[in-house]
Amino acid sequence: MKDVMLGLCFMVAGIVTIYVARQYPTMPSLQFGPSLFPSLIGGGFFIGGLVLAASQFSTLRQRASEGHVVLRPDFQAILVSLLPCGLIVFYILASDYLGTAISLATMMFVLMLARKTQWLLALGVSVAASLVIYFIFSRYLLIPLPEGLLSVRG
Amino acid sequence: MDALLQGLQLVFNGQTMLVILAAAAFGIFVGAVPGLTATMAVALLVPITFYMDPTPAIAAIVTTSAMAIFAGDIPGTYLNIPGTPASAAYVGESSQLAKKGRARETLGTNLVCSVFGGLFGTVILVFVSPSLAEVALKFSSYEYFWLALLGLSSSIFISIGSKAKAFLSLMIGLLLSTVGLDMMSGAPRFTFGIPDLMAGINFIPVMIGMFALNEIMSFYGSRIETRNPPALSKDKVFGQVPTHVKKYWRNMLRGSSIGTLIGALPGAGADIAAWIAYAAGKSRSKDKAAYGTGHIEGIVDASSANNSGISGAWVPALVFGIPGDSITAIVIGVLYMKGMNPGPTIFMEGSGLVYSLFVVFFVANLIMLPIGYIAIRSAKVFILTPRKILMPIILCFCIVGAFSINNSITDVWIMLLVGLVAFILARCDFPMAPAILGLVLGTTLENSFMSSMLKSNGDLLSFFSRPISAGLGALVILIWLLPLFARLYRRARGGSRDQSPRTP
Repeated sequence: MKDVMLGLCFMVAGIVTIYVARQYPTMPSLQFGPSLFPSLIGGGFFIGGLVLAASQFSTLRQRASEGHVVLRPDFQAILVSLLPCGLIVFYILASDYLGTAISLATMMFVLMLARKTQWLLALGVSVAASLVIYFIFSRYLLIPLPEGLLSVRG
Repeated sequence: MDALLQGLQLVFNGQTMLVILAAAAFGIFVGAVPGLTATMAVALLVPITFYMDPTPAIAAIVTTSAMAIFAGDIPGTYLNIPGTPASAAYVGESSQLAKKGRARETLGTNLVCSVFGGLFGTVILVFVSPSLAEVALKFSSYEYFWLALLGLSSSIFISIGSKAKAFLSLMIGLLLSTVGLDMMSGAPRFTFGIPDLMAGINFIPVMIGMFALNEIMSFYGSRIETRNPPALSKDKVFGQVPTHVKKYWRNMLRGSSIGTLIGALPGAGADIAAWIAYAAGKSRSKDKAAYGTGHIEGIVDASSANNSGISGAWVPALVFGIPGDSITAIVIGVLYMKGMNPGPTIFMEGSGLVYSLFVVFFVANLIMLPIGYIAIRSAKVFILTPRKILMPIILCFCIVGAFSINNSITDVWIMLLVGLVAFILARCDFPMAPAILGLVLGTTLENSFMSSMLKSNGDLLSFFSRPISAGLGALVILIWLLPLFARLYRRARGGSRDQSPRTP
């Protein structure tokens, strides 16, 4: 089932890619230009997606006729696996105000609690690790990480 | 000779040696914790090497990857969970041996085979790549087009599982490579008005997303955490090694040769090298029945192969700028950043840099012996490191690392989006190697095609007008037709078998 859906997604992506690529200019001396490769890739998406969907569709029908039970995806597990992504968005939005060190410490603390770490241990490790990372990158490697709230004090 | 001395001087100084030692410890740790791969280690290392001189930067990457591939055997032996995918081929054998109380003996043999394989691959790298480079000097855009296409094609045909998925994965990589200003016409493509995308997509954030964020997400998606501390055996690490080496030296040589060759093929890395060497060892073995029950012979083949594959992958990366595996895909980016542009001229410049690279390979593989020994003795530390504490820290490294390449938050977005897509695709069994290869080689493929077309006024036949180019073109077409030939051959054989009873 997953493969059929993905195949269809790839086919749509292929059509969109070709459509966008058609707007690019062509080279003066040749009939093709910057649109050639994106169009070929779009075509590749479409054909690959078609092959994937078609090949899986036949096995799916075969299974359905044999009376196989389709497994339901574990939605809770999928939600938990999206937690790191949500926290990255949190970092992107909050780091300018909170600063890198505090944002990272918050992220790590939440993630460790999500996996049932003792809260005292989680707090200690996240504060220590975020300070170490912050100082390695901003002081030793001279990356301009946002300082945020910490800059007011020092 | 001067260049060699200069190279030695670049490696044997305090800073580089210190970097090698630190990278060795880092590599052992990452390799030995299941779920953290060698590629991930290297991707996370790049932001830090960014600020080093070329030699220590390369040394850090070479040492980390070699160590991580060996260290993947440690949890494989004790827990039956491969530390890196490269140990997956023989994890069954080694865990069976551990159950018999021979864990340290197994790891000791692993270590010696890894060192041997790594050194073997290095010798091939040192002797083959300069002569290959002389051939490559004659290459023009026609040959580079075919070479890039050859790499991309072999990455699909060597992949395990659905070829349609490998092809789609490749297309994603190629599409990412077209983002930014077109080199020929200067037209912006897929930039969506974001100025940071004009220069194209930097692939370090892509690699971090694909290998690190993807792993972190699948860790939170799974629910397995508790691991029982295994009973650690107390046998001697190197006690039985001389006997094994004496008995199986042919396997070591065969495994290393297979590993170097597979490693040098674009798209196939240490993991595929180990699988193929294991299968080859089994088919040639005198006691095939012992395989799968804890037989040291299978470990010898595959363990030599995965470390030689790491060195072998550097041959096409240095000579042609075409990565042999996902680690060298990152390395090529680092080499460009350090001003050591990969390609045949790297051997002609006469500076000590290339020699220092070769020396680094020898040092990294030799240092594996003592450091690996310490790691085997203290295996318990790695096995019991809780991933629920480690994974959040790695996520922070991902964010800061992706940001630090260009000091731009756009790269963090790219890492996030790529990680999400990679997570979905990996759950549906899409291979990742073709995507990386597509991203790295996409620009070479397009630019060499376009400049060849401009030179020949759009005549497609010009791709077959030069002898080397025609040869490479024929090879590419042969690879494409190979599945068809294989099917016809099978059908012909099947057909003849069907008819055989009827023939008198």
